[in-house]
Amino acid sequence: MPTPAHGDTALAAPWRIGVDVGGTFTDMVLADASGRIQTFKVPSVPADPSEGVVRVLQAAADTCQLSLKSLLGDCNLFVHGSTVATNTMLEGKGATVGLITTRGFRDSLEIRRGFRENQWDHRKPFPPVLVPRYLRLPVGGRIDRNGDEIEPFTSEDLETAIREFRIESVESIAVALINSFLNPAHEQACMEILRNIWDGDPDLISLSSEIMPIMGEYERTSTTVINAYLAPRVVPYLKELNTRLAANGLARPFLLVQSNGGMTSVERIATRPVNLLLSGPAAGVGALHAYRAASMTDNLISMEIGGTSCDVMLMSEGKVPVHDELMVAEYHAASPAVNIHTIGAGGGTIAGVDDGGMLFVGPRGAGAIPGPACYGLGGSEPTVTDAQLILGRLREGPYADGSISLNLKLAEIAVERGVADHLNLSIEDAAAGILRVVEQHLLLAVQRISIERGHDPRDFTLVPAGGAGPMHGAPVGRALGCRRVYIPRHSGVFCALGMLYTDVRHDITRVFLSTLDDTEPRDIEAGFLQLEADAHEILAEEGFTGTAVHVARELDLSYSGQQWVVRVALDANGGQGSAEIRKRFEQEYDRLYGHTQPDGVIEISNQRVVGTGLLPELTVGASEHAITEPVPLETRSVYVSPEIGWQDIPVFAGDALRPGHMLDGPLLVEERTTTVLVESGNRLQVDDADNLILELQVNEA
Amino acid sequence: MSRSSLGASPEMDIDPISLALTQNRLDDICRQMGWVMARTARSPIFSDSHDFSCFITDQEGTLVSQADGIPIHTGGGGFTVAAIIRVFGEEITEGDVFVSSDPYAAGGNHLPDWVISRPIVVDNKLIGFTCNRAHQSDIGGGAAGTYNARATEIWHEGIRLPPLRLVEQGTMRQDLWRLLLLNSRTPDLMDGDLRAMLGSTRIGVERVAGLAREIGVKTTVKFIAAILDHGERRLRSALRTLPAGHYESIEYTHTDCFEEVDIAIRAAVTIDKGHATVDFTGSDRQMRGFKNSSLVNTHSAVYLAITSYFEADLPRNGGAFRAIDVIAPLGTVVNPRPPAPLSMCTATIAHEIGHSVWKAMAVADAERACAGWGKSIHGITAGGTGTSAPWVMYHWNTLSGSGAVKGRDGFNQFGHIGTLGGITMHNIENYEQRYPVQFMRQEFRRDSAGSGKFRGGTGIDYEVVINEKAEYSFRGEGLIHPSGYGTNGGTIGEPGQMTLTFDDGTHIEAPQYGVETYAPLQMRALSPGGGGWGNPFDRDVEHVLRDTRDGIVSPEAAEAVYGVALSADLRQINLDKTMKLRDQGTTADT
Repeated sequence: MPTPAHGDTALAAPWRIGVDVGGTFTDMVLADASGRIQTFKVPSVPADPSEGVVRVLQAAADTCQLSLKSLLGDCNLFVHGSTVATNTMLEGKGATVGLITTRGFRDSLEIRRGFRENQWDHRKPFPPVLVPRYLRLPVGGRIDRNGDEIEPFTSEDLETAIREFRIESVESIAVALINSFLNPAHEQACMEILRNIWDGDPDLISLSSEIMPIMGEYERTSTTVINAYLAPRVVPYLKELNTRLAANGLARPFLLVQSNGGMTSVERIATRPVNLLLSGPAAGVGALHAYRAASMTDNLISMEIGGTSCDVMLMSEGKVPVHDELMVAEYHAASPAVNIHTIGAGGGTIAGVDDGGMLFVGPRGAGAIPGPACYGLGGSEPTVTDAQLILGRLREGPYADGSISLNLKLAEIAVERGVADHLNLSIEDAAAGILRVVEQHLLLAVQRISIERGHDPRDFTLVPAGGAGPMHGAPVGRALGCRRVYIPRHSGVFCALGMLYTDVRHDITRVFLSTLDDTEPRDIEAGFLQLEADAHEILAEEGFTGTAVHVARELDLSYSGQQWVVRVALDANGGQGSAEIRKRFEQEYDRLYGHTQPDGVIEISNQRVVGTGLLPELTVGASEHAITEPVPLETRSVYVSPEIGWQDIPVFAGDALRPGHMLDGPLLVEERTTTVLVESGNRLQVDDADNLILELQVNEA
Repeated sequence: MSRSSLGASPEMDIDPISLALTQNRLDDICRQMGWVMARTARSPIFSDSHDFSCFITDQEGTLVSQADGIPIHTGGGGFTVAAIIRVFGEEITEGDVFVSSDPYAAGGNHLPDWVISRPIVVDNKLIGFTCNRAHQSDIGGGAAGTYNARATEIWHEGIRLPPLRLVEQGTMRQDLWRLLLLNSRTPDLMDGDLRAMLGSTRIGVERVAGLAREIGVKTTVKFIAAILDHGERRLRSALRTLPAGHYESIEYTHTDCFEEVDIAIRAAVTIDKGHATVDFTGSDRQMRGFKNSSLVNTHSAVYLAITSYFEADLPRNGGAFRAIDVIAPLGTVVNPRPPAPLSMCTATIAHEIGHSVWKAMAVADAERACAGWGKSIHGITAGGTGTSAPWVMYHWNTLSGSGAVKGRDGFNQFGHIGTLGGITMHNIENYEQRYPVQFMRQEFRRDSAGSGKFRGGTGIDYEVVINEKAEYSFRGEGLIHPSGYGTNGGTIGEPGQMTLTFDDGTHIEAPQYGVETYAPLQMRALSPGGGGWGNPFDRDVEHVLRDTRDGIVSPEAAEAVYGVALSADLRQINLDKTMKLRDQGTTADT
C-alpha cells in the first residue's frame, strides 16, 4: 500500500527518483527540490519487473496527484536498481551461450578449480555449468606467459565453432583464451571475425580481455560467460524500460546501480551486465553516504535484515571496500563489487532443536510463503518473528502496513513444539533463546566484516535497516560495544533511498606483474596514466568532465607467494616511490593481519583506477521540530532483555516522534513497516533529518 | 526430551541457550583462525589448496571444534595435544607455544604436517589448546617437497619433530627456530608459514580466553564437556539409522612403492546400538615404502568414511568419535612400528582405508553407498637448485574423478577421498607465472568414468611442458590398476596413465613410485575415473545423450554400456533402437 511519509503538500520540481526492484517489493523514494523525501512500496511483479516499476511510479503519481507524465517529466535524475541479473542467475534462465576457448582448455569453466563451499556436503552436485561442453569449442593459437604469441590464431576453428553455434541457436558468445590478460590479440582477432560471420548483435559477444582482464583463466572465463549469459535477458529489458519511461515523459535516460556501489548508463552496461549482480543491495553504499553527515561519523556498519537474510556492509572513513570476488548462486564473477556479507538470519529464519538436543536458528528460512507461524499462512515451524511476538515486541493483529495479521497463539504453539518442549524451557524462555542465538549470528556477521578486516566495531555506528533490522539494532550494537545506533526512518526502503545519494563509478583494472623493488616508478606511472585516460573517456561519454570527475589510484600488492592481495591506495597525482608504497602496504597489512614481514619481497599484481562522476549533492530539508512531548500509544508488557526480563514499557507510534524529541529506554517505536526496540540504558533522539539515534550506555570496563 | 539428557550427567545444570551460543562461538573462532591462516601464509599449498586445519581441543586434547582444512585432518587433533601433555604435563604454562610433527613420538599424522599448539590458560587454569596443522613446503629428507617416494625409513622423509617448546613463556626460542629453518629447502616459505600458524593460533587463544573470562572458567569447561556430549549423541543417532550387524570388506593397494605386490586392508565394521567398531585385524603387515598409515591417519580415515555417510552438519569432534572404536593391530599397514616410512598415507593409504570402510558400510546400507574415487596420481616437480630460486610444484590438476552417489554423478577431476574435494586447484595461468612450465592441455578424459545410473567423475587429460631440468617425485597410485569401484551395479573407473616425452622425441611410461631427475620434458597424465552407482541401463537417456554430445562418453560406449543409441549427427536419441538395446540388456542380465 503506497503512502507518503509525512503531509501531502505539492512537490517542488525538479526531483530525483530511486526505484529498487527487489524479490518481494518494488520500492521507490522521491526527493524533491525542497529536500522532502517520500517513499512508496508495491509488490514486485517477478514475471515482468518493469511492470512493478511502472506500478510504483503510478502509485506515487496518484498519491502526489500528478499524472505519470508530470511525475517523470519533472524528474531530473532517475536511478534504478534491479534484481533482474541476480534472479536470472538464481533461476537459471539466462541465454544459450557459446564459449570459445584455447584448444586444450575447454573445461576450465566446469572444473571450477574444484572449489566446494562445504566439502562435507559431498552428496550435493555442483550447480549446472552455464555452458554445456558441446558449446565450449576450441580455437588454435597460443599466447605464452610473457604475452608473446607462440602459435598463431587459427580462424578456421572459429568458423567451425560458429557453424555449431548456429545449429544450436546460440544467443550470445563468450571468448576467453589462455593468457589473454597479457595480450588480447587473439581475442580481438576472434571479435573481428565474429563481427563478419556471426549474425548476432556484436554487443552480445563478450571478450574476457575486455570484461575483466585479470590473471586466472577460471575466474576470467566464468565472469565472461556470466556476462554473455545475462546480456540477452537483462539488456533488452533495461532498454525497453528506458523506452517505456521515455515515452512517459522521462527526459534523461535512467542510471543503473552497479555491484561496485556506483551508477552507470544503460548504454555502458549493455556490454557489461555482469556488473549488475549486486544492483540493488550495493545502493546501500549511497544510503550510508546519506547518513554520514547526520550521524556525524564516516564509520558506519549497516545491517539490512529482511525476511530471510541479513546483508552486512562496512563503511570506513567514508569508503566501502570494493573487491572482485563475487559469488552469486554458486557462480563466480570477478566483477567489482562492494563487500557485502550475507547470512541466513531474518524475521522468517527458522529455529529448532537437532537430534542431539542443541538449539539452532537458521540458516533455513520460512520464506514469504508460508512465512512465520504467526502469519497463519500454514507455517508451523518457529521463526524469529514468532519469538518477537511472544516476547511482546510485536503486537498481535495488523502487521507490515496491514498486509498481514499476526496470531500470538500460533506463534506460541510453534515455539512450544519446535523448541521449548525439547529443551524443557518455558515458551517465553525459548523465544528469548531464539533471539539470543539469531542475534549472535548477526553479531558474528558484523564482527566478520569488521574485526577480521582489521576494524574495531566500537568505532562504528551501527545502522540497522530493512523491515526486521531496527528490532535487533540495540542488542547487537550493545554486544559489539558500539556507542551509537542510527535507525533511518526509511529503513524499509534503505537501498532505494541510497540510490539518490549514489555517484557514477567505474573500476578499471590492468594486470601488472612485477616485484616492487624491481619496478621503475615511470612504468607504474605510465600504467596509471593509461587507466586514468580510459576512466576520463568513459565518464565523458556519460556527461562528466572537469571538476565533476574524480579519479583514484590503487595497487594490488602481496608478499611473494601469497594468493590474496592487499589493495593499497596511492595519491592521485602519483610520485610515490617504492619505499613509500612499501610503507603504505605494510601499514595496511599490519592493520589487517597484525604483523608484517620486514624484509619480505612485495609483488605487484594489478593496477586499478576508480573513476567517479560526481552528482550534485542532494540537500535534505529539515523537518519541523517538536513542540510538545510525545504521548505513548499504550504501555505494554515486553521482554526487554535477558538481564531485565519482562517489564511494562511505553509504546510510541512512529509519527508521534519528531525532531528534537529525546526519550530514555526501554520503549518501543512502531513504524509503518518496522518496530524499533529501545533498550534500557539507550537514549533515543530524533535528529534534524527525522531519523532515530540511539545512544548506548557503554561499560568502559 | 528431559533437561537431564543435555548434560554429561544429570547434576550438570546446563542452560541450553548458553550452550548453543558457546558452541557457535567456538566454531566461529576456528573459522577466524583459518581465515588468518589462509590470507597470511606464503606457500601456495595453503593459499591455493587449503592444506591446513585449525582446531580447538579441551585441556586433555580432545578435539572440540574444527574448521577449514581437508577432511583427512579430521581426527588427528586430539593425538597431537595428548602427546604434548604426555611430554610436558604440569610444565605447560601461559605463553608457551609447541610445535610437533612425528607420527610415532608426537601424535602426528604424517611428517610434513606440522602442528602449532598453543595452550589456553585463564586464571592459571589450562582450559584447552588452539592448534593449526599445516603441510610444510619442505622439511628436508630425501626429496624436495616432502614426498620421498624412495623412503624406506622415516628418517629418509625429513626432520622429525617430537613435541617441542617453540615459544617459552612468550619468548621465541631463536636457536630452535633457526634449526627448523635450516632443515628446509625452502626456509623463506617455512618462515612465513610458521608465522601465519603462530598468528592464527594466537587469535584463537585470545578469543577463547575472552569467552572464558566472560562466562567463567568453570562454566567454559562445563560447556565444552556438554558440546562433546552433544557430538556423541548426534553421531550415535546417525549410526542408529544403519541396521545392526557385522559387515566385512577388503581393499588393496598393488605396490609397496618398489615392486608389484598386493597389500590388503581388511575392515570389519560392526554396527550396534548407535556405535561402530572398525576392526582392521587381518590387514597385511607394514610395507617397505612410504604408504603405511600412522595410527592417527587411520583414525582420521575411519572418521571421514563414517561421517561422510551422514548429514554434512554432523559435529566432527572428540565427542562424536566416542561412538567409534578403531582396532588397528600394531605392525600392520594401518598402524606400523617405527621406523616405517609413511608420508604418503594421507592420500594413499587413507584412500584405501576409506574405501574399505565405505565398502563395508555399503553392505549395511546400499542406498547411501558411495562409489569408489579414483586413486591419486598427482606427483611433484621440484627444480631451481643451483641456478635459480628453488621451486616445488604440485601437479594438483591431475586429480582423479570422484565416485557417484545416489542422486549425483561423480565429480570430474576432483581428488582423493582424503580431501572430499577440499583441494582447490590453481589456475594454469598462475602456475605459468610462478614456475618454468607451459600447459598444453587440461580437459576431461573421455570414457574414463565408471558407468552407472549415476556415472563416476571423469579423469583429466593433462599435458605440461617443464622447461628446466627438475626432480620428479612420482606418486602414481591410480596408475595401472583401476581404482574407482562401482556400486549397486555401477562399474569401475579407468586407471590412470602417465607418459614422459623428452626433447629428442623419446618417451617412457612414468614409474608408479620413485624419485628421478630429468632434463626438460613433456608430461602427459591421464588421471583415473571414479566409479558409478546403479545399473547404467537405468541412466536417464537424456543424460547419456548429453554426455555423448559433451564428448564425455563415446557413441560406442553409449550403446554398449548404457544401451542408448543416437542419431548419426549425435544430436538426438534413436528411441526405437535404444528401447531394443535396453530390453536385450535387461534380458541378458536375468
